[in-house]
Amino acid sequence: MQKTIVARTGNEAVAEAMRQINPDVCAAYPITPATEIMQIFSTFVADGLVKTNLITAESEHSAMSACVGSAASGARTMTATAAQGLALMHEILYIASGLRLPIVMADVNRALSGPINIHCDHSDTMAERDSGWIQIFSENSQEAYDNLIQAVRIAEHKDVLLPAMVTTDGFIISHGMERLEMYPDEEIQKFIGEYKPAYNLLNVENPITVGSLVLTDYYMEHKRAQHEAMKNSVKVIKDIGKEFGKIFGKEYDMIEKYKIDDADYILICLGSTAGTTKVAVEELRQEGMKVGLVKIRVFRPFPAEDIVNAIKNAKSVAILDRSESLSTQAGPVATEVKAALYDAAINIPIKPYIYGLGGREIYVEQIKNVFKSIKDLKKTEPVSYLGVKE
Amino acid sequence: MTTKPNIKSWRDLNIGGVIESGTSEHFKTGGWRSKVPIWQEKNCIQCMNCWAFCPDDAIKVKDGKRAEYDYEFCKGCGICAEECPKTTQAINAIKKEDPNIEIDSWDGAENPKFREKAAILMVSIKEAKEKFGIK
Repeated sequence: MQKTIVARTGNEAVAEAMRQINPDVCAAYPITPATEIMQIFSTFVADGLVKTNLITAESEHSAMSACVGSAASGARTMTATAAQGLALMHEILYIASGLRLPIVMADVNRALSGPINIHCDHSDTMAERDSGWIQIFSENSQEAYDNLIQAVRIAEHKDVLLPAMVTTDGFIISHGMERLEMYPDEEIQKFIGEYKPAYNLLNVENPITVGSLVLTDYYMEHKRAQHEAMKNSVKVIKDIGKEFGKIFGKEYDMIEKYKIDDADYILICLGSTAGTTKVAVEELRQEGMKVGLVKIRVFRPFPAEDIVNAIKNAKSVAILDRSESLSTQAGPVATEVKAALYDAAINIPIKPYIYGLGGREIYVEQIKNVFKSIKDLKKTEPVSYLGVKE
Repeated sequence: MTTKPNIKSWRDLNIGGVIESGTSEHFKTGGWRSKVPIWQEKNCIQCMNCWAFCPDDAIKVKDGKRAEYDYEFCKGCGICAEECPKTTQAINAIKKEDPNIEIDSWDGAENPKFREKAAILMVSIKEAKEKFGIK
């Protein structure tokens, strides 16, 4: 296959993927740092490179509402947003997943206000972790591009039919120029295939009711069906990740394991920090410390089993959360990893950290210190802040 | 001999809770009403404002003319009375004892027949028609 190597920012890579996916409808509203995605994509629309019907809505609440209407009408639908925009979509996100509409969204991770901030953390995505959307995190532009293409297939799979968001770290990935391997348009089209919607609101031959009232008698059954779809998505995500690897050269799974086979000390994180951690792992291994990384690629559904299997032989584990849940316990990643270990009856000492909020920089040296901090860890410690001014 | 009610499981539901159109016809919701609109035919000028504004389908038309209310569905919002030209006063929304009608109540979750009908309608009108002989 003829791959084209180009220099692209994360937002450019996402917009290129959207061009190649060529969705029927995009409804969006601009917000930093995701604005560029739709700005670039709108030039593709204006230049006639895609057949997409672009809807410039008056808010993110309206944008997601238009996406729901469009997807319910059988159109392949995409959007992009960040932070406050995602929060404004909150109400409609649950409707999209409840109606089982495979909308695909690019979410550029940015801290939620307040105080107002435009830089990266994962609080926006984590705030929507119970919204019934599949959540896929990207380490760099290449992964954002690859993930977005796979997300279309995953969301639309007949055993799944759930909306999916693919995230990139705001500014770090979205505005950072990187090497990107692009695949030919026709190969992307072949991979995602033709969209066959589960239902079509606009088919007058077969009138249907979408979004009807379901009270005490059946609401719970609908949630149970969504639960099953989310469970089904694990196999689908893995299968599509493998198939993607066969065709395009890079395989994907629920998690990525980096040098963990003989690792005594493992760090768990997601997003761009995984790239920084890989450098720290290399440097510490040269110093003789056996360390490894588990990168969570898919946060919803939560890959509990895969994580437990990856870390069960470690002496201790550090978990980095780039969002605060203010429960005073730990961030969402650490909380869920700990629950997974409890289910598996494995008691490994854990040191949970909260770092990088509002775009606070994270350096290789800090991650090396995190690894060193768990070297003699005997029991699980309360959450601590990394890189905060004490 | 009692037959077990055919209660649908979560596995039977249509994707996304999509249902065939027109199921609301099979749930008589007039019981929500607090005010009862009364139509006086002798005052009616057949402007059809009430028919046009009724948010339900509770104002019937027969041979091109306004006919009696369908109290099985009228929810007593009073819009018809509001839209009825003040010069004619053919409709008054009056709080009074309700016309005697059969009502499907959501409180009827305890009523097995209602539960079964609601469940079957969520999946198929055809099945409900066969089971309950509803039109």
